[in-house]
Amino acid sequence: MPPKNKKHKDIIKKIRLVMKTISDEVLIQKKIPELEIAKIGYDNTVWSEKKKMLTIGEKKVVVSPNSTKKIPTFAQYLVMANAVRKLLDEEMESTIRGMYYATLSSVGDDRNREKFWKGQEDSDDAIKAIELITGTPREEFSVTSKPKGMISGPITLSVGGDTIDCNLGSRATSQLIPTNTLDVEITDVKANFVMVVEKDTVLNNIRKSGFIQKYKAILMTGSGEPDRATRIMVKKLSEDWKLPVVVFADADPWGLGIALRYKIGSESLSYDSDRLVTPRVKVLGMMFSDIYEYNIPEVARLSASQEDINRANDMKKKPWLQESQWQKELDLFLKKKEKCELDAFFKHGFKYLAEVYLPRKLQEAGVI
Amino acid sequence: MKSSTTLELKYHEKRKKNYNFSNNNIDNKKVKIKYNKKAESEFFVDNSALAGFTGERILYMAIRELIENSLDSCEANHILPEILIELKHIDQENDLWSISCTDNGVGIPSEKVPVAVCSFLTSGKYVEKQQRGLFGVGLKMIAAFSTKDTDTPIKIWSKDLEERVEYYHELRTDISTNKPIILEKNIVPDSDSIIKHNHGFKISTTLRARLSPITKNKINDYVTQSSIVNPYADITFENDDGKITFKRRTEKMPEPAKEVLPHPADMDLQTLKKAILNFRNQKTTIQGVLSNSFQKLSNEKAKEIINRTGIKNKPADLYVEQELIKIVNICKHTKFQSPNTDHLSPIGEQILTAGMMSEYTIVNNKEQNIGKNEGNGKNINLKILKPALTSYSSRSTVINNRPTIIECGIAYGGDISSFKLYRFANKIPLLYDEGSDVAREVVSEVNINKMGITKKDAKEQFAQGQNNLKSDRVAEVLPIHIFFHICSTKIPYKTAGKESIASEGDMKRYMKYCLSDLYRKVSAQIRKDLKIKEVENRLRLYKFYIPLISEAISDTLNINIEKLNQAFNYVAEKHVKKERMHEEQSMDTEENSNNIRKKILKERNKQNLILESNIHKKIHKEEKKEKNSKVSKTLRRKNFEKPTLFDFGIR
Repeated sequence: MPPKNKKHKDIIKKIRLVMKTISDEVLIQKKIPELEIAKIGYDNTVWSEKKKMLTIGEKKVVVSPNSTKKIPTFAQYLVMANAVRKLLDEEMESTIRGMYYATLSSVGDDRNREKFWKGQEDSDDAIKAIELITGTPREEFSVTSKPKGMISGPITLSVGGDTIDCNLGSRATSQLIPTNTLDVEITDVKANFVMVVEKDTVLNNIRKSGFIQKYKAILMTGSGEPDRATRIMVKKLSEDWKLPVVVFADADPWGLGIALRYKIGSESLSYDSDRLVTPRVKVLGMMFSDIYEYNIPEVARLSASQEDINRANDMKKKPWLQESQWQKELDLFLKKKEKCELDAFFKHGFKYLAEVYLPRKLQEAGVI
Repeated sequence: MKSSTTLELKYHEKRKKNYNFSNNNIDNKKVKIKYNKKAESEFFVDNSALAGFTGERILYMAIRELIENSLDSCEANHILPEILIELKHIDQENDLWSISCTDNGVGIPSEKVPVAVCSFLTSGKYVEKQQRGLFGVGLKMIAAFSTKDTDTPIKIWSKDLEERVEYYHELRTDISTNKPIILEKNIVPDSDSIIKHNHGFKISTTLRARLSPITKNKINDYVTQSSIVNPYADITFENDDGKITFKRRTEKMPEPAKEVLPHPADMDLQTLKKAILNFRNQKTTIQGVLSNSFQKLSNEKAKEIINRTGIKNKPADLYVEQELIKIVNICKHTKFQSPNTDHLSPIGEQILTAGMMSEYTIVNNKEQNIGKNEGNGKNINLKILKPALTSYSSRSTVINNRPTIIECGIAYGGDISSFKLYRFANKIPLLYDEGSDVAREVVSEVNINKMGITKKDAKEQFAQGQNNLKSDRVAEVLPIHIFFHICSTKIPYKTAGKESIASEGDMKRYMKYCLSDLYRKVSAQIRKDLKIKEVENRLRLYKFYIPLISEAISDTLNINIEKLNQAFNYVAEKHVKKERMHEEQSMDTEENSNNIRKKILKERNKQNLILESNIHKKIHKEEKKEKNSKVSKTLRRKNFEKPTLFDFGIR
């Protein structure tokens, strides 16, 4: 039964083409086949001044079963490609963990038996490779990961036809951001702006305070490192619904890094930046200077580790942090060697963050 | 509780005593310390751990001592050893074991038998030469333990090389006096003779001991390893599992160690006094005593030493201690020729190689065919491991003023499938405490890149499934057996148990040299094997993965999987072959350049005086010559070919 979805048909066609090329190389040209794939990683990530985001470079890697090391890799990619093709043929969807299990097997004879995948990371890498080979994001071939991001506020989603109202009124809970992004549609938004925070604990505190109702805001979090669904949601709200998006993360190099994921992208996903990155996002806090401006008591500050210092030194050289404001902030951090979590504002009272700090920052930025 | 109160009482008594003393009172309760002499036998039985006889290890030590005595006894007279050891569990309930050992050594003269077997610290081995046993304790320990724990006498049959008569003794040790008790002594008539050779010795005794499976294995290991370093010995070992014979593989025996005089650098007051005592009645001068009692000390050198002390030359026994100390001190600061090594008896390349080429291992049939027990107790068997190649290297040096010879051997590949380290000291296998032995350090510190392979290669090709291997233990994934033999009259053992050797002086450095030598010697072979291994691994991977690849493709494209599989296998094999040919070519050129480098080095060594530039010129010339000769050869061939072509034309 051929799939009805046109996009799915296209992906299957692409996978078939790759397979055909390989089988021709073996059957007709009688040579060791080769797969050319764009390289992923820091050494093939390029800063695009025009797009204001991290993009993938020109470097390619050739995966070919010509060396001992690459024989398994080559087999893994092809097995995964076949599994994706099957998934689409059957019009099913799967998580990345599901794909790992679906392709699980062992290789070798009784004396030397090894696992086909050393772990799920191997199969995740293979899925990434299929994305690159077919030039299609994984959501389009129905492979997703466990939802992680959360959303709360006056926004209504339609997921595969079911309506999800995120304005839950009770202030008691948030919705998980669905990861099958192709099935997700934003049907209605009644908000003035979107505020993304680093951690779910902070989001819960703000939601409980009535911030959403008071300022007509949509609250979101990626619960640490944001997944693709959260990044895509942010981009849609910013670009399709023209809402201002602000990000608050902890005042340390790690937090700043997470905030920048939304704004400029990341090295490991640079091949998909066009769909994931929202350059118009404003990173408002928490600034290193806020530690002193808002008088965070010394007990609530943390001393920076050597890793933090190295990271900050590294960041100072990045083209996207050359504005004097960021240079000043990083210099301040390197001088004081202190960092601070957003949660530290609770030391000033449980409502201080939502009722004093955030409104003041948003006003300064002209968002409210 | 009781002991603590008595302790307390003693304490009070002591205090009282002190108090009384200060008051000049006489206390009747005064504790009197008795000074007794303890017999050597009593001391050693009480402190049996000193000689290694501790609970679990009694049988192991007994077997070890008996084998060592027998081998020493044969080697002393260059007799090819023939040894039979029996170990039988005769009383399960009371843990009684019968242990006996028969050899064809020189035997012991009949009058000496009782003291040689029973009296501690009585030995014919108190001389400066390399022997396995040294202290005159081992055999006596067995006798004392047997006397202590059982009521059976120690039975001895001995046919001395010179007496040529077989005597039978039944003995026990009087532990409190260190004297033998002779229960029976008689001449064995020829018809009842136990000793088949013209000379030999047999001991049969009962010991009470427990034998754990671990110790049992250690005993097996001990006998096996003894056969490796003594391939000229014929050793039969019989126990409750069966009888195995380690056959003689070579008739060559190591040169026996010769007794030598002590080296003056090792002189102290005691040795000097002893030397003087030997000449007591001959009115010899100190100069004579010195030159006759120490090696590397000529009459003139002795004179020089005495002159430097400023003491008049007089009969040796007239010297007072103060003067003797002066002589000792001067000797300590005088340079002598390094000591000679006649008193050492290394195994030697030929013999160790014979041992390595036919390494015996004990195979337990029990595990393999349960139920197939044939009833005659034949549960053990011997298997010979034949390595693909062996190599040998040795160094001699001086450690602790004693000359020391380090021998190292390596056996690689063939039947050898895994790593093993063998340690020997004066031809005795060392089985315990491997972790703290200097040999262990040497193996982890010598980089395996001396074999021309990288740690990564070794891990990838030889260590399948051992991913978390520590990098200093990489050598242990290779199929090699490494042998270290240290011989010296004073081995720097780490512990009293004599099971591991400490790194003293240059020991470690020289051991490393030896091992590096061997790594280099096996490098060509191991590199070749590595290449083959790599190819094998690659082909195996193809065998495993090609079906998966083909299945994925044929599943998606709906094409014939068999055809694809075949084509893929063909392509893969072709690829491997091509790569291998390429590698072999590059290896050849590498070897050539190595040879040229070696040539250069040789030239340099030969003609140290010639300037380097000259050598280069010479080599250039040589190379040119070679080229020229090649050219002329090809020219000649062309000249030769031309007429044939011409002939063709005419036809």
